[in-house]
Amino acid sequence: MKRLTTYFKIWRLNASNTLQEFFVNRYTHILFYLGKVIRLGMSLLFLYLIKDQIAQFSDYTPDQVIIFFLTYQFIDLLAQVVFRGVYLFRARIIRGNFDFMLLRPINPLFQALTDHPDINDTLFIIPTTILSLYIATTLDIQITIGSFLMYMLLVINAMMIATALHILVLAVGILTKDIEGLIWIYRDVMRLARFPVTVYLEPLRFALFFIIPVGLMITIPAEVLLNLTPAYSIWLTLATGVTLMGISLKIWKWSLKKYSSASS
Amino acid sequence: MHKYLMVLKQYWQNIFVYRVSFVLWRFRQFLSSLMALTIWTVIFTNQEIAFGYQQKQMISYVFLVTVLYNIISTTSLNDLTGEIYSGKLSTKLVKPINIFLALGFQDLADKLLNIGFVIVESIILFLIFKPSFVFPSLSYALIFMIWVVLATLIAFMINLLFGSIGFWSRDSWGPRFLYYMILDFTAGKLYPLDILPQVIQKAIYFTPFPYMSYVQIQLFLGRLKTDQILPITLSMVTWTIGLIFISRKIWRKGLKNYTAMGQ
Repeated sequence: MKRLTTYFKIWRLNASNTLQEFFVNRYTHILFYLGKVIRLGMSLLFLYLIKDQIAQFSDYTPDQVIIFFLTYQFIDLLAQVVFRGVYLFRARIIRGNFDFMLLRPINPLFQALTDHPDINDTLFIIPTTILSLYIATTLDIQITIGSFLMYMLLVINAMMIATALHILVLAVGILTKDIEGLIWIYRDVMRLARFPVTVYLEPLRFALFFIIPVGLMITIPAEVLLNLTPAYSIWLTLATGVTLMGISLKIWKWSLKKYSSASS
Repeated sequence: MHKYLMVLKQYWQNIFVYRVSFVLWRFRQFLSSLMALTIWTVIFTNQEIAFGYQQKQMISYVFLVTVLYNIISTTSLNDLTGEIYSGKLSTKLVKPINIFLALGFQDLADKLLNIGFVIVESIILFLIFKPSFVFPSLSYALIFMIWVVLATLIAFMINLLFGSIGFWSRDSWGPRFLYYMILDFTAGKLYPLDILPQVIQKAIYFTPFPYMSYVQIQLFLGRLKTDQILPITLSMVTWTIGLIFISRKIWRKGLKNYTAMGQ
């Protein structure tokens, strides 16, 4: 418990530092925020236009498709809020600043993942979650208490998969000193899950479930929430989350042994 | 001319140092195109017509806009802000070259490289989605080419303006992010603009963005009336001249403000 409190204090300190940086560049952040609002607004407009025009989107109704999008929006944003530090990791490796993380008596993985929470996305996730809940209440969908609880469990599992994928990106960063391409591939693959990934053709569909498992992160929880038969079983989804986490931690530890400082 | 060809060659050499990054960048663009085409295919699974388009027309639109947008859009000037703010621009300023022409050739190098990949990607997408379209008449093809050149100039000038921020600040990513967000939805990249409500369409036509892919593809597919061609051409020419004028003025002002220290 004491250890948890210490780590929370460290995270809070990092968040406070990031917040101060945020205020230094406040005008830039306002533009970022505005860009995000426009992206969300236009995406929702597109979904409502589809709803107006078509009765069925593959095996789903347009209302159900909106739930897939809102689930994507929430999980993607939450991962951004927590793991933004990953985007800065390449610079730390190249400049040798990662050495300082290794010297501190704090888990270096915790530092690399969470030392730069995204304030912009934190400010964005609050109103968008409220908006999403409001939108969900206006849709013609069937949600039960059971499906909602299972959805919450699968969202936690999705965050575990997101954590594992971010850890893998960090490990590749240590081994290759290149990280930006990979993390942006992850973001773009996530974007494919704005719509149910079952609509994509094979082998892309398989890859979206089992190679970069955004389908397990977004499509399965949304299907469960909507009381639809999920494309793959819930147990397989949960087992994948746990296994991926275990593998990513092993690879991280192995990559640390291969780390050589780049500082001068 | 030889020295500008050297700029072109040098740009390619720099890109090939980080060739994995470039390939990953192209892969990301490919994924985006694949998503747009898949979604539109699914939308038309149970119906022949949606948003006033037949399935074939919509798939052809999205396919062609994907190809064209990749050619028109510019990324080669993304680092210009940092180059100016850090003082690295000095190395270009002291050389006996026209800086705008050098940046233009840098952009051309980027486009040629992207076109090579776009051809391969388009063949794959063509084989998967099988779009069908009739090539326009010679006169329309000529207008199409002129509009593509104008759109390329507009995109270049807008990016030059963002780069010029470096004369005063190192932070151009905020405005640039906002620009890309707006461009994504207003250049007709994910859907044709005529599916949007009239009010939004009218607002979009006050910006240069619909001229950066949407109108060209509408012309190519024969969805524009003859009497629309002249006003669109005039708008594009006005935007191009206006942006050239503004960017030159801002660049001159920026140069007066520019300082760099030796190392």
